[in-house]
Amino acid sequence: MVKNVTVFTTNQCAYCHMVKKYLDNKNIKYDEVNLDNQPNRRQEAISLSGGMTVPVTLVTQHDDSRHVVVGFNLSSLVPLLA
Amino acid sequence: MKNIIVYGADWCPDCHRSRKFLDENNILYTYLDIDSDKSIKAEMLSLTDNKNIIPTIVLSNGQILQEPSNQVLAQALNDFKSVEPDNEVIDLVIIGAGPASLTTAIYTTRENIKTIIFEKAVIGGLAAVTDLIDNYPGFEDGISGLDLADKLEKQAKRFGAQIEFNTVQKIKLLSNNDKKIYTENGIYIARAVLIATGTDYKKINVLGEKEYLSRGVHYCATCDGAFYKDKEIAVVGGGNSAVQETIFLTKFATKIHLLVRSKIKASQVLQKKLQSFIDSGQVVVHLQTNIVSILGDNQLVNKILIKQDNIEEELPVDGVFIFVGLKPNSEFLNDSSIELDQLKFIKTNDNLLTSMNGVFAAGDIRSGSTMQIASAVGEGATAALRIRQYLEEI
Repeated sequence: MVKNVTVFTTNQCAYCHMVKKYLDNKNIKYDEVNLDNQPNRRQEAISLSGGMTVPVTLVTQHDDSRHVVVGFNLSSLVPLLA
Repeated sequence: MKNIIVYGADWCPDCHRSRKFLDENNILYTYLDIDSDKSIKAEMLSLTDNKNIIPTIVLSNGQILQEPSNQVLAQALNDFKSVEPDNEVIDLVIIGAGPASLTTAIYTTRENIKTIIFEKAVIGGLAAVTDLIDNYPGFEDGISGLDLADKLEKQAKRFGAQIEFNTVQKIKLLSNNDKKIYTENGIYIARAVLIATGTDYKKINVLGEKEYLSRGVHYCATCDGAFYKDKEIAVVGGGNSAVQETIFLTKFATKIHLLVRSKIKASQVLQKKLQSFIDSGQVVVHLQTNIVSILGDNQLVNKILIKQDNIEEELPVDGVFIFVGLKPNSEFLNDSSIELDQLKFIKTNDNLLTSMNGVFAAGDIRSGSTMQIASAVGEGATAALRIRQYLEEI
C-alpha cells in the first residue's frame, strides 16, 4: 500500500509532465517538488536518484519502505503504485 | 482468448495483492479458489510439482509464477502479455505520439475512423522536450514544446483519439491484409498502421558517456539543465538543437563551452541569438573541436578531454549536454519486411505508403523527411487522407 508519492520536477521537463499526467489520470495524490522554484532541494533529488536528472519519483509504502523511480518509467512505477 | 489463471484463497493476503495488481492494470484473469473444490487444488498441485504455494499464477503462455512480487509479475507480463483483445479489428493504429501522429489522429477521428495511438515515452515526442519552438506557424512569439504537445494531444482527444502507453515490438502482414501488431500489452489487429515514431538524439560513443549518464552526461536540457545553476558546462554539436539548447542553458550555467566538430550549421536566427551570449563571454565556441573523453571522480563529471588541431586539452566542466544529430526510432522494424534506407529511416512512396501494404509512415522517421515540426504536421495530414482512401478501397 502506498503511503505517499513525491515527484521532483522542473518547469519544462516533458518527462516530468508525463509522470504527473499518469498519476493524475490514476487519481493518485502526490507532492511535487519543483526544482526551478525550490533549487535548495536539488541535492535531495540527487541523493535519491544518484544522478542530476528529473523526474525523480519517490514512493513511500505503508511499511515506510522507500522506492525511487528515475525518469518516466512505467514498468518500474506501476508495480510500486499497485 | 486464453486467460490468465490465478489459484488462491480468500484468507491469503498475497493472493489479494496479486489480484489487486491485475485488476488495477485491467488485466483479465480467472480466479480459482483452492478451498472451494478439492479438484481445483489438485489441478494446481499437478501444475506445480506439488508445490502448495499460493497465489499460483498461470500466464497464457504457460509460464507459472508462485507467490510473485508485483515487480516479478509486472516483468513477466511485460515479457508476455496476454491482454489479447478479442480480435477486434481497429481501423488505424498509430505508433508514436509526436506532431505527425497527433495530426493524423485529429483528421481520422473526426471522420470516425477508430484510431489508437501507442506511445512508449512522451506525448509530443522530441518536440515536447524542446524549450522553445520558434518556427512553427501560428505562434508569433514561439511556443514551448510542452505547450504545443499539450495542445495537439487535447485536440486529438477532443475528437476521440485514444492514446495508450505501450511499446510496439513488431508488425506482421496477415493474408487478409490486416496487420498484426505485437506490443508489450498484447496483440492488436488493425486494418491500417501509421508509423510515426520519430527520432532520438544520437550518442557520441566516447569514453565516459555511458558511465556518467545522468551524472554529468545529458541529452535533455529542459529536464536536467536546472542542476547546473552557476556551473560550467559543455554542449556538443553545432546544429539547430545544439544552439537552441545552449541558449536555453544560459539560464542556468555561468559558462558554456560549445564544442563544434566542423562549423555551426544552425539557422541564422539562432546564430544571431547565440552571438549575444558569445559577446558577453557566457558562451565560448570551440570550432573544429572533438570531444575525446568525459572524465570524472567516479561519481560526477569534472572535466572533458577535447581535441583541436590534433592538440588535446583538458577542460574542467561539471556536465556535458549532447545534441549531435538524430537517429531513427526504427529498431522494432529490424526483422520486418518494411524497407528501410541505409540510415534505418523508413522508405515510402509518394503516398507515404511503406513497402508493407496498408502501413504508412510520416514525420521524422520517414526517409527524406525535412525534420521540421511543420513538415511533420503536413505529412500527418497527408497520411490521414491516404489512409482514409486506403480504408475505403480495401
